[in-house]
Amino acid sequence: MTTTTSNLEPTPAPVTDAPSALARIRPALSGLRPQRAGVVYALVLLVTVLVIATAAKHQPAYLSSVNVSNILSQSAPDAILAVFMTVVLISGNFDLSVASVAALAAALALKTIDSIGTAPAIVLALAVGVAVGAINAVLVQKIGVNAFIVTLGSMTAVRGIVLIALGGQSVTAQSRSLVALDSTAYRLPPVVAVLCGALLLVLAGLRLRRLKEPNSPPLDGLFLVLIGCAVLLVVIAVSAPALLTQPLPVWLMIWVTVGVAAALRYLVPGRNLYAVGSNAEAARLSGINVDRYKMMPFVLTGLASAGVGLLYAGRFNSVDPNGLTGTELTVIAAAILGGTSLFGGAGHVAKSVLGTVVLFTLSNGFNVLNLGSNYQYVVQGAVLVAASAVYTIAAKSPARRQHADRTDIGSAAPPEASTADSVESLHPAVSGS
Amino acid sequence: MRAAVVGAANTSVRTSGSPSSAPIALEIDEVTKTYPGGTRALKGVSLQLRPGQVHGLVGANGAGKSTLIKIIAGAERPSSGELRWQGTTVDWRRPADAQAAGVAVVHQQSPVSPALSVLENVYLGAGAGALWNPNRRQADFAELCASIGFSIDPHAVVASLSIGDRQMVSILRALARRPQLMLLDEPTASITPAERAGVLGAARQLALTGVAVVFVSHFLNEVTEICDVVSVLRDGKLVDSFGAEELTEERMVTGIIGNRLRAVESTHVAQQPGDPVLELRRLRSTSMAAPVDLTVRSGEIVGLAGLLGSGRTELLKAVFGADRRTEGEVLVEGKPLSGGPAAAVKRGVAFVPEDRLAQGLIGDWEIWRNVSMADLGSLSRRFLRLDPAAERARAAQACAELGVVAASIDTPVRDLSGGNAQKVVFAKWIYKTHAVLLLDEPTAGVDVGGKADLIMLIRALAARGMGIVVVLSEFEELLSVADRVVVLNRGAVTAGYRSDEVSVAELTAAAGGLS
Repeated sequence: MTTTTSNLEPTPAPVTDAPSALARIRPALSGLRPQRAGVVYALVLLVTVLVIATAAKHQPAYLSSVNVSNILSQSAPDAILAVFMTVVLISGNFDLSVASVAALAAALALKTIDSIGTAPAIVLALAVGVAVGAINAVLVQKIGVNAFIVTLGSMTAVRGIVLIALGGQSVTAQSRSLVALDSTAYRLPPVVAVLCGALLLVLAGLRLRRLKEPNSPPLDGLFLVLIGCAVLLVVIAVSAPALLTQPLPVWLMIWVTVGVAAALRYLVPGRNLYAVGSNAEAARLSGINVDRYKMMPFVLTGLASAGVGLLYAGRFNSVDPNGLTGTELTVIAAAILGGTSLFGGAGHVAKSVLGTVVLFTLSNGFNVLNLGSNYQYVVQGAVLVAASAVYTIAAKSPARRQHADRTDIGSAAPPEASTADSVESLHPAVSGS
Repeated sequence: MRAAVVGAANTSVRTSGSPSSAPIALEIDEVTKTYPGGTRALKGVSLQLRPGQVHGLVGANGAGKSTLIKIIAGAERPSSGELRWQGTTVDWRRPADAQAAGVAVVHQQSPVSPALSVLENVYLGAGAGALWNPNRRQADFAELCASIGFSIDPHAVVASLSIGDRQMVSILRALARRPQLMLLDEPTASITPAERAGVLGAARQLALTGVAVVFVSHFLNEVTEICDVVSVLRDGKLVDSFGAEELTEERMVTGIIGNRLRAVESTHVAQQPGDPVLELRRLRSTSMAAPVDLTVRSGEIVGLAGLLGSGRTELLKAVFGADRRTEGEVLVEGKPLSGGPAAAVKRGVAFVPEDRLAQGLIGDWEIWRNVSMADLGSLSRRFLRLDPAAERARAAQACAELGVVAASIDTPVRDLSGGNAQKVVFAKWIYKTHAVLLLDEPTAGVDVGGKADLIMLIRALAARGMGIVVVLSEFEELLSVADRVVVLNRGAVTAGYRSDEVSVAELTAAAGGLS
């Protein structure tokens, strides 16, 4: 590429001076705003309420290792789905078929595992998941049918295939290998956990040091997340080491979340995915392969759904034809709780995972407090809508007010006044644009 | 669907009575506006808007025009000072208050409902009883059209209309409310010269019926053509105000840019064109009416002249592969180009689209992420790992070289003025592209100073050896930037000129299909 040093004609002053250190750290604090960290506050608030409520009723401590592990392993499959649902939502699409695909994968694996063996059954289930994802992708992107309609259709049709394949009956398998997949526990030694915490702190420190380098981006919420996770790891290692022993799905949830979040943040395809979701036409005219970024999320989600189906099959070593019904809505609700935009271009997979944990903490709390489980749907629905309302209101904070006012009179004119003065003081040579 | 423009702008019908004797529709008295962030957009502006007058409001981006318009329209409240509507002090808290008093606004791109017909759009929410009486509506509509000398099929679906006709629909809709004060905020910015005449004619006709008209425009020739009084804003202050008899373009420009040096646009150094970088052979796409042949050489700027609908944008999109090519071929640096935009970008071809926020930029993203969007391959490690430091260095360099005025490279591009946003679009490409630059209306919605910057930038890029194809509806600008001009009419190339041997008038005639 040509790195040009030739002087283009209009060359007034450079755009910015090096901002002060404080100004560079401040952006990280904006990660604490309700519209950014809302789901964290929701979880903290919810847990606090439940801890107080259980204590008031003289019940066993709510935050016991057993109960927390319980919530985590219940959330894990849905949380993995929420990660990939978030990827689909970022790309500007929608996938309702995840639960049906998971059920199909579970049914296929359990039906075939005794005859063709574990590995082929797993491969078959995953391949079917990829196939359904690919069909969704082609119908949405190549044919141009609305994603909601396509995946509503595939959700229904795939569920029909499950019913046909199982003849309306539950299916079980002799092989225990899927059970092992779901329930084998892995232990992270407390020392390693403390070391991991230390490593995260070192990373945060390096990030701070890099701020001094020219052109390094300002800090953001990730800095706080690193410190928070480090503290959490050390606290768990010291006070509740039992929590460091978790079954495979929980570790999978953590690794998938970290892996996908890192890919979205640090890799070119991640940036391009956000670009395509934000403004597909601008992305296309910038030479980004829009079709690829609109289609891959469906395929990945199909694969992940099948994987989750395998975990589900292993949980009970049986699957009934209506298993997992409604999970797709839980997963979408979790992504929305996590602040993912339904319009594409915005969302964070880790927050969607927290959204899932919030939903499962809620139902766990209803069980622990013996508050009839029928009420929990009312509360879940209310929490979802309330969370969206908070995000919407927070997005209209004073900094954004300008935009709201401008749209009041439907103006498409460029914003003139909002930055004019501050800009002119920076740039005395130019009085206008 | 093309609507016939009946009443063209006519300078001879200008009201000639002495302006100061007429009553005042709206008096703006020492209005200031300070935004919560501390930005002082208006620093004490007084204006008198009189019935029957077209009052021109000019100024660079950021001069305070938009804020003033918002205050008159009731969308913003002044921080101090007052508005007197027909002698009574008013405090409009929302646009509906101003509308109820008799103020109507038409913006550069006023929203219309594309799925509804012209008639439905015009009377959308106009009240006048719940019953929709089609015959009476049509009679009203015909009367409305006649009052501004315009005709259009009332049953045409708005989605099928050109941008210019949609603009007329917005004007008709504003008129249907029988306003006493009409604000036209850059109503001609996105439409072709022919359609412009319709809008200008409408503004004059409106003034003749006793309405006070405020006309905001970057096009000084339009202001010269139709305004009775012109007020110039600069840095939130009223710096000059004069009647039609004293009006010269020179005086306006001096007022707008102040003591800043006026960029000389006509010092064009002809480049010696090099080898062909772009050759079109019988090229045609799904949306083009006729095949086109064209050769652009290295260092050459070729202008495409034509009316809206003549196929200029479609030609650029066909070259770039944004529309599917159905016939003929495109050669870039002598080798055939096939495939979509991604392939074109790889070969060093760039396209700067007309609607920069919808097609060129991601509004919510910062300057730096927009600048690097098209070139993440070379701004990342091994095409895979993002390198924000490199991206930000590129953005900082681009902002310095192109003179982008912004608080920092972390500013979202949505908050930039038109000219600065367009420079960011250019910055996306100038380090990446080496062969061909396709520019669709690069100066639309950009103020005088920004335009001069952009024109000099385009020339500098050509001097570097790029071949440039530029579409500009403003023929004077087109001639000042291009080495030669190709005329498109109904999708076909009908003429070609060297830009120093053709006048705007000849070009206008050729684009309009005259010879």
